[in-house]
Amino acid sequence: MGAAIVASQIAPIAADDRERFQALAEEHLDSLFRAALRLTRNRTRAEDLLQETFLRAWRSFHTFKPGTNARAWLYKILMNAYIDGYRKATREPDIVDQEDVDEFYLYTKVQESDDFRRAGDPEEVLLSRLMDADVKGALDSLPDVFREVVILADIEGFSYKEIAELLGIPIGTVMSRLHRGRRQLQVKLWEYAKRAHYVRAAKPPAESGGR
Amino acid sequence: MTELDCEQILQLVWQFLDGEIDETRYLEIEAHVAACADCGPRYQFQRRLLALVEMKCREGPIPTELKRKLFRLLEE
Repeated sequence: MGAAIVASQIAPIAADDRERFQALAEEHLDSLFRAALRLTRNRTRAEDLLQETFLRAWRSFHTFKPGTNARAWLYKILMNAYIDGYRKATREPDIVDQEDVDEFYLYTKVQESDDFRRAGDPEEVLLSRLMDADVKGALDSLPDVFREVVILADIEGFSYKEIAELLGIPIGTVMSRLHRGRRQLQVKLWEYAKRAHYVRAAKPPAESGGR
Repeated sequence: MTELDCEQILQLVWQFLDGEIDETRYLEIEAHVAACADCGPRYQFQRRLLALVEMKCREGPIPTELKRKLFRLLEE
């Protein structure tokens, strides 16, 4: 009986909390799911990560201060859940950046390519040739520490400072990882673009037939 | 404040595109890339590249079934 009274007393508060949490979470679920997909590179793992994030957020909802940045709060929980359960390497890979890869790698490659230059507007041809799967594939191929920073900056639109807070690393580290990640992304995109170009160029014209 | 040369401008292009640059420098870079035949196309390409990455990684809304599953967790 005592328990019933307590339950009925706290129930309205809990229901109210649940509604508030639901409303807050609902607004960010689409973008959290997108981030989870790119972080885990796999639909099933993304669903698991989102569920873990959602539960952690609900459990610590009492620590959320209304009026503060809900998106940053949720992404912090997402990144912690991701780091705890999904990320393998935490250190930057010891690979040395290729000397000829600079910030303008892709632009330079396309300018130097006779195949692309012949097309008239080589940059446009290159960019229009890259498909969703190419860009996602290129992003997926990056080492984790670069990938997560590129995802947070270029897809989720967080500032350097916000990313530093989300990952618990200095802003300078965010910048260097972002720049290295974007350079590597361009190397990969160039591979995809060349392949797509080659496939198209190698295809015999329909009129002449394949005989 | 001394004026930036092309090399310095190009080094700041990512920060510029990321909106991570102070206002005075921002205006200087904006004016430079609008006028410079070397930096301009490079800047435009990087801008389009970033837009492409964002656009190609868009996803539809979270599946309804998944959303229902999440909200059911709150009732346990």
